[in-house]
Amino acid sequence: MKIRLRTEYIVVICVLVLNCIGLMSLYSSLHHAGMFSGRDIFYRQLMWMAMSWVALIIVSSINYRTFHDRSYLFYGLNILLLFAVLFIGHESMGAQRWLSLAGFTFQPSELSKITAILVLARCFAAVRPENMRRYFFIALGLIMFNALLIIKQPDLGTGLTLPILFMLMGFSSMIKKRYFIILSLLVCMTIPFAWNFLKPYQRDRLTVFVNPNVDPLGAGYTIIQSKVAIGSGGIAGKGFLSGTQNQFNFLPERHSDFIFTVVAEEWGFLGSLFLLFIYWIILSKILDKSKELKDNYARYLLMGIAAMIFIHVFVNIGMTLGILPVVGIPLSFISYGGTNLLMTMILIGLFLGACRE
Amino acid sequence: MSRRFCYIIFLFCFFLLGTTLFYYQIVKGDYFSSRARNNYMHVLPIVSLRGDILDRTGEKIAYDRPVFNVAVIPHHIIAKREKLFSDLSELSGCKKTTIERNYRTLMTNHFSPVNVITDIDKSDAIALMEAFPEDLIINPTPKRFYSMPYEFSHVLGYVKEANVFYDKLKKYGYKPLERVGISGIEEYYDSYLKGEDGGDLVEVNAQGSVVGYIGQRSAIKGKNIKLTLDSGIQKAAYDVLGSRRGVIILMDSSTGALLSMVSSPAYNPNYFIKGSNTGSFLLDKNAPMLNRALKSAYPLGSVFKPIIAVEALMSHIISSGTQFNCTGSFKLGRAVFKCMHVHGIQDLRQALAHSCNVYFNNVGMLMGADRITSAAYRFGFGNYTGIDYPNESKGVVPSKEWKRKNIKTAWYGGDTVNFSIGQGYFTVTPIQALIAVNAIFNGGYLVRPYFISEIGGENAEITARKYIGTDSRFLDIVKNGMWDAVNTDTGTARLLKKLGFSIAGKTGTAQTRGKAHGWFVGNIKNNGLSYSICVFLENAGSSSEAVKVCYEFLDELKRKELL
Repeated sequence: MKIRLRTEYIVVICVLVLNCIGLMSLYSSLHHAGMFSGRDIFYRQLMWMAMSWVALIIVSSINYRTFHDRSYLFYGLNILLLFAVLFIGHESMGAQRWLSLAGFTFQPSELSKITAILVLARCFAAVRPENMRRYFFIALGLIMFNALLIIKQPDLGTGLTLPILFMLMGFSSMIKKRYFIILSLLVCMTIPFAWNFLKPYQRDRLTVFVNPNVDPLGAGYTIIQSKVAIGSGGIAGKGFLSGTQNQFNFLPERHSDFIFTVVAEEWGFLGSLFLLFIYWIILSKILDKSKELKDNYARYLLMGIAAMIFIHVFVNIGMTLGILPVVGIPLSFISYGGTNLLMTMILIGLFLGACRE
Repeated sequence: MSRRFCYIIFLFCFFLLGTTLFYYQIVKGDYFSSRARNNYMHVLPIVSLRGDILDRTGEKIAYDRPVFNVAVIPHHIIAKREKLFSDLSELSGCKKTTIERNYRTLMTNHFSPVNVITDIDKSDAIALMEAFPEDLIINPTPKRFYSMPYEFSHVLGYVKEANVFYDKLKKYGYKPLERVGISGIEEYYDSYLKGEDGGDLVEVNAQGSVVGYIGQRSAIKGKNIKLTLDSGIQKAAYDVLGSRRGVIILMDSSTGALLSMVSSPAYNPNYFIKGSNTGSFLLDKNAPMLNRALKSAYPLGSVFKPIIAVEALMSHIISSGTQFNCTGSFKLGRAVFKCMHVHGIQDLRQALAHSCNVYFNNVGMLMGADRITSAAYRFGFGNYTGIDYPNESKGVVPSKEWKRKNIKTAWYGGDTVNFSIGQGYFTVTPIQALIAVNAIFNGGYLVRPYFISEIGGENAEITARKYIGTDSRFLDIVKNGMWDAVNTDTGTARLLKKLGFSIAGKTGTAQTRGKAHGWFVGNIKNNGLSYSICVFLENAGSSSEAVKVCYEFLDELKRKELL
């Protein structure tokens, strides 16, 4: 009992620390030449954060079995929302991702990340040797349908998190590994054909991922400036509010997808490592916890939560470092973006709820 | 179910992130730091004004005046570059290829302004600015202007921005936008004229707008330079030369201060500043870029005779009374060297007045080649005059040894005969001829010719002179001969007598490939001042052309009371 409480306690503290780092970085990233120019964005994020904590507390107090029973229902509702986005969603920056609801705009694709975990946990928890193949295909079908709807928006980044989640959770499940290996090989073979389905800007992103200097002022600009920002942080960084790449506006999107560059530039290698360490604690504690739980569904649920957070952290930081192509995936807890924060906090809430049972 | 798979993946990926961070922030940290610094710290150069160049009356002949450039910030116009350049081209009349070339060659980084259209009027610049207020920046910069471009072209030279030949210049500490003097006074006195460029050290943001000042160093204007040249005399000389190829030099006899130096044909340095229409000058077969006064050497012809005379008198080979009989030719073995006329019995004074070749052939043979060579060196030929002008030519003073080394044959008697009347391998620059003859009129001193009068308001005239080591008795004898050349009815330069100045001089018709060069080198005394003059006409046919040009020139000066 004592150990269990401590694990949850540590995770909550870590989340609080990340919230603080997030607010600090956001505060800094919203400065321009010494002026706090993005005041409203900062307050909006504060409000989202408060709402997220409320959501976390509510979700953690609900018996996780409730979610187990309604996994498919949530999934279905989410699919409906995604369809709604396709038809009545409002467009911003060339993509149709947002739904307006009572003045708030939010992205149903973010919600998919939760429903996908729920539905996958339910599928994999139900796997027995005799129905292995059936559940494999059910899970795969549900995920791919969901992912394709998101990619259609277009939101390639979020869309691809779902198949990755499927692979991470699937490999840990009872289903035979060869199913996933064959699937991976098939996917690899179709990659050359997938090129034709990409939008021009997505192709540009992949081209500059291979060599950013192809177009240093255009598509390669962000990644070059991002690397410069991170690299110039050095060991200890340039200090809070002193990152030149950040303060002089050389980095676009630095309050959202590229927030890590602000941390790395202003706090250096030590600060970046500290951030990675906090994430590692959260991930390892959730994974450790999953071993202690008796209920199969809860174990998969925790694994899914860890995998989802991990995907965000790795893909986002990897992209700012130029080791992964630029896709629109925010850095959990840190990046500006209400829906993602809310989603991540709900995941933590789910984790706490599962631990409580 | 196993957690191990997830654990391994998580651990591996975090390790990957950690090592990449280590690589970027620790291993390559300094590199990225400097890249970040280059992003936000900029020196906005303030080009210094170059010193003015004035003539001796204080008239500005070279100065800076503002022109306007239109600049863009590369990062700011990425998306609309093509269209913007097309529109700019249409509106300004500047070729699109020029705009694009400027953009490519002048871009230093993505956040500093690049001058895409250079050198336009203020009103045009403002019109462009009004058409594209978001995208353009107006950049006024000083531009060199020459008020009397042709008259002073060779003397002054011109300036170019250092970035044209930056690879060579950067080791001397030049900055790309700094202007460098090319030839002439602009080159020779570049270090005084150029001043010091300043700059604003500023912080800029990604939009290229200045967000903070770190510091400023103001530009320091270069020093003004006052020359000894007189723009009125210079204009007269240029006008008189007209379409001829030739040189007029007028110099103060005792100091070496140059009052005029014109080489014709000339070029317009303003075209080189603007960088347009320069091809016609560079390709012209008459070589207008060449300063014939001191960068090119020609046979001296009969102007060498007074020098031979002084040397022969000094070494007591002849005296003022020595006579030779001119039969119209000089025979050496089977070779025959012709004279212009049959002069009959001539003494030294007559021989100089009539420019008798036979007389000096005889003198030359008595002296021998070695003594003629040393005479030439004594009077400064084969050496630099020391003029404050870059890259003057030395000319060639032949000697027995020189011929063995360069022509690979022995020295013959005929070479001595030719040398004695300034022909053969012997070549000199017009300025050398002037300095040598001038020594006869100023008591035996080789003066160092110079252009500079004042630098930054302070006297910079340095007269340097070298005594040639001869008795004024001998000089007077030769001077008399040269006086007669102008002032007797049979003298070769008698046309000049009409002017009413006190003039003495020597003509020369120098044989060469093609038509002969015409020379007149002499001395004018007026109002107690003594000037030496050199008129040289390339391939003019004979010396009489040179005398005529000299007459017209001095007549003009007299009319305008410039002398």
